[in-house]
Amino acid sequence: MPPSDLRGAEGCKLSTSGIVTKVKRYHDIAGDGGSRVLEQVAEQRARITDGLAGVRHLVAVGSGKGGVGKSTLTLHLAGALRARGLRIAILDADFNGPSQARMAGVQGALFVPGSHKVALPRTRSGIGVFSMGSLIPESAALEFESAADGESHTWRATREFALLGEILGSFEWGSLDLLMIDLPPGAERTVQFADFLGPRTSFLLVTIPSAVARGVVARSVAALSKGPNRLHGYVENMSGYYCRDCNAIKPLFVSPEPAGLGIPCLGTVPFDPELARHCDRGIPLAELPGTPVGRALEDVAQQLLDSLESTKEPPR
Amino acid sequence: MKFLCIPCDSPMKLQTIAPPEGGSLSVVYSCPECGYEMAMLTNPYETQLVQSLGVRIGPEMGVGGSGSLRAAGASASHAEASAEAGASGSRCPFTAMMPAMEGPRAIDRAPTGVVARPGQGGETIPVRWTAAAEARLANIPEFVRPMARIGIEKFAMENGSLEIDEKVLDAAREFFGM
Repeated sequence: MPPSDLRGAEGCKLSTSGIVTKVKRYHDIAGDGGSRVLEQVAEQRARITDGLAGVRHLVAVGSGKGGVGKSTLTLHLAGALRARGLRIAILDADFNGPSQARMAGVQGALFVPGSHKVALPRTRSGIGVFSMGSLIPESAALEFESAADGESHTWRATREFALLGEILGSFEWGSLDLLMIDLPPGAERTVQFADFLGPRTSFLLVTIPSAVARGVVARSVAALSKGPNRLHGYVENMSGYYCRDCNAIKPLFVSPEPAGLGIPCLGTVPFDPELARHCDRGIPLAELPGTPVGRALEDVAQQLLDSLESTKEPPR
Repeated sequence: MKFLCIPCDSPMKLQTIAPPEGGSLSVVYSCPECGYEMAMLTNPYETQLVQSLGVRIGPEMGVGGSGSLRAAGASASHAEASAEAGASGSRCPFTAMMPAMEGPRAIDRAPTGVVARPGQGGETIPVRWTAAAEARLANIPEFVRPMARIGIEKFAMENGSLEIDEKVLDAAREFFGM
């Protein structure tokens, strides 16, 4: 049995003989005694880095606000860039509300094991898509086995990021010009993704012309601006709606003031009910050519491409 | 976390991990100098926090390599659990805990607890997997594996094959433009 010790000042022990000695601290001890927890976390990070080695640009599409059209915009920008010949994939990181599987038409995708990793399901136009919606029916919610049932607030976010790491490290992303990461809502989540994905991931934010949405997106801008991740700018979605009968863009929100987010605006995209119907059916934008919405998305895609190719940091 | 034997001023080493029970892990450490042993008993929150990192406590006990992390965990079926154990040669300390905690529900679940399409995991298809194809399946994330197995078996049967080997897997990749 060890002798009874009286604890003195922090990090010191006072033995019964009255001699004060310093107790080793965590960083004084090499290794972890065999738990390998940190080693495994480092292995996970290395697997992610290795898996993404062939990806030229990582762009996270976020907002902070929900329902502003992040997923729709992600898919259509990917489609517009794919049409220009870029090699594109989408990672639907909204595990709890995945929508890319339906919109991209990969709900019933087959997952085929390669020699070491899983092949990425692809759309008809060749965009690789991972979405939890390919694995989980819309009638079910994502669940994790847990040793602490009923206490998910204490561990769920950590578990979801571990799952994200597993996906990044286990799928064949291959050689890509661009991997677009469709983020879930939540300003705090946007920053957590920035932390997890690291500084090589840049961000594109989406808002709509409402003061409420802009306020939330402004919080995301403020939070992201404190970190090293590049902010390309924002897209104002639903900037009006396209009336096919009038062949005109009509106002959807009454919000005359500019967004004032302090980052570049890469474009405005009106809402098109027909495009929304196409999304629900998994029909690509390419089948709606020449519409004002299509042209707006093309413009935003070009702006994003220009920003990606530019080494100049956008003004904040 | 690390454990220090204060009398010896020596870091303690992990010795054994007892089978989990009630969401608690029992991890025994000992001092390599004096042999003093102590057990770390986790509560369910602590157990879950470690599990949420996607890691397991303890050394590799076989030739699992990089796939062992993904090969561990509760299985969609007992058959798959056996295949995974055979492929990795190691066993996650949480593996035993999960079926005991979850009971029959675990059978319908994907290995890491991500719910796959309910009901599909229980379908019986008389298709045989070669060892090489099975090994490739074992390399992919646990939560994808049940869906991959079902999809590949369906593809094989639709193409008149009752045996899945690496050629069938490659054919599926080509067919689906991957």
